[in-house]
Amino acid sequence: MREEAKVKVRNLTKSFGELLVLDDISFDIKKGDFVCIVGPTGCGKTTFLNLLVKLIEPTSGEILIDGEPADPKKHNMAFVFQEPSAYPWLTVEENIQYGLKIKKMPKNVIAERTEEILDVLGLRDVRKTYPHQLSASLEQRVVIGRAFALHPDLLLMDEPYAQMDIKMRYYLEDQVIKLWQRTGSTVLFITHNIEEAIYLSEKCLILSNKPTTVKEEKTIDLPRPRDIALPEFIALREYVTNQIKWW
Amino acid sequence: MKHNKDRILSMLLPLISLGLFFVLWFWLARAEDSMIPTPYETLLRLLEICRKPISKATLPIHIWVSLRRVLIAFFCAIVMGVSFGVALGWNRTFRALVNPIFEILRPIPPIAWIPLIILWCGIGELPKVIIVLIGSVVPIVLNTYSGMKEIDPLLLDAGKVLGAGRRQLLWEITLPATVPAILAGIRTALSSGWMCVVAAEMIAARQGVGFLIVRGQESGDTALIVACMLVIGVVSMLLSTVLIKLEGVLCPWQFSKTK
Repeated sequence: MREEAKVKVRNLTKSFGELLVLDDISFDIKKGDFVCIVGPTGCGKTTFLNLLVKLIEPTSGEILIDGEPADPKKHNMAFVFQEPSAYPWLTVEENIQYGLKIKKMPKNVIAERTEEILDVLGLRDVRKTYPHQLSASLEQRVVIGRAFALHPDLLLMDEPYAQMDIKMRYYLEDQVIKLWQRTGSTVLFITHNIEEAIYLSEKCLILSNKPTTVKEEKTIDLPRPRDIALPEFIALREYVTNQIKWW
Repeated sequence: MKHNKDRILSMLLPLISLGLFFVLWFWLARAEDSMIPTPYETLLRLLEICRKPISKATLPIHIWVSLRRVLIAFFCAIVMGVSFGVALGWNRTFRALVNPIFEILRPIPPIAWIPLIILWCGIGELPKVIIVLIGSVVPIVLNTYSGMKEIDPLLLDAGKVLGAGRRQLLWEITLPATVPAILAGIRTALSSGWMCVVAAEMIAARQGVGFLIVRGQESGDTALIVACMLVIGVVSMLLSTVLIKLEGVLCPWQFSKTK
C-alpha cells in the first residue's frame, strides 16, 4: 500500500530567462518524513523551496501539498530562511508569536507556545529585547522559534544553522528532531553539510548540478539517536559526499 | 583616560565654537558703518519686544501665531503625505497614474506658490497654512514612498510564508518597517514648514515672526531683524529636539541598539 504523500512534485521546471535552474523534477515526500536536500553549491536548492511556498511561480509543472496547490494561507507551514528574518520592530517574544497571531490561534495557546519556545531555544533572558540588540546567530534562533511555535505540518528550513557555532548547531539539530518526533510534522531541510543531513534525515534528496534534477533519493535507515562516529554513519556520509562531487 | 578626555572635549568644543561665534559677531558689529547690531543690542531689543507689543502683539504672541500656522499645516501634511506616500508605494496603478504629475510639481519651491495662493485665498490665515502645507507635504511623501520601496524583501517573504494576507503585509509588515523613514520625512517637513511660514509672513501678514523681520527692514531696525532671526533658529532647534524624543517613543527598536 502506498503511503500518503504530503508533498507531490510533478515535472517541476523553473528557468530564469535563458537559465534553466530546475529541470523536470518529480518526487514525493510522504507524510511525517524528514527529508534533507543536499547538492552542489548554487544548484537551485533555495529556488526549489521558494517554489514550494509560492514565493516564486514555476515555469511549468506543479507542486501539491495534501493534494492541493501549495498555499501558505491554507496549509500550516513554516519557513526558516538562510538569512535572519526577524521583524526589527517586534520584541523577541512578539516575533515568536507573530505566526500564531496570523493563524488566529487562541490566546492561551499563544501564551503556552511562547513559553515553550523561549525555553527550547534558550531565549528567556532576551524575550523583551529587539532583534537588533542580538547577534546574528541569536536572531536566527528567534526566527527558528517563530517557525517551531506554529507546530507546522510542513516545516521548511533553508540552511538554518549555517551561522551557528558547532555546539549550538548540534543542540538545534536535536531540537528539530524532537519537534519532528513530537508533532509528527513533515520536514524539508536544506543543507550543504553532509554530516548534518545524515544525522537528521530519514531520506536524503541528492540534487545534481544545474540544470538540476534529482540524482538520487537515498534512504537513511540508521537508528536514533544517531552517532556520527559509527562506521555505518561514516560510510553513508562518504557515499553521499561522493554523489555530490561533480568532478 | 581616553574616555574622560573625549567627554571633556565634547563638552568644551561646543562652548568654544559658540564663544568664537559671538566674538566674530561682536567684531563685525563694531566695524565702521556696520549695519549689524552687537549681540548686546540684539539681546536688549529681544527683551524689549517681549514686553512692548508690535502690531498689537508681543514676541511670544508672534511666535505662537507662526507656530500655530506651522502646526496646523504640519498635521494636515502628515495625514496627507503619509497616505499619499503609502498609496504611491503600495499600488502600482496609482503610482503610474499619479507619479508623473507629482514629479513635475515636486521641484517647484513652495515660495513660488505664494502669489497664486494669495490671489486665490486672500491674506487671511488660510493662504499661509496652505503654503506651509505645500512645503511640508513633499518631504513626507518622498520619504514614505522611498521607505516603502526599500523594505527588505525577506521580511515580506517571511510574512507571506506565515500566511499573511495582502492587508496584513501592508499594516503589520510594510508600515512598521517604513516608520523610521516616515519619521525622518516628518523631521525634514517640520523644518521646511517653519521656513515656509517665515517666507509667507514676509510677504503678507499682520503678525508672526516673518512679519517682524519685514517690519525691522521697513524701519531700519536691524536689532529687531537679528533678534527675530535668532528666535527662528532657536524655535526650529527646539522643534527638532522634540521630534527626536518622539521618535524614541514611536520606534524604540531603532534607539535600543546596544550591540
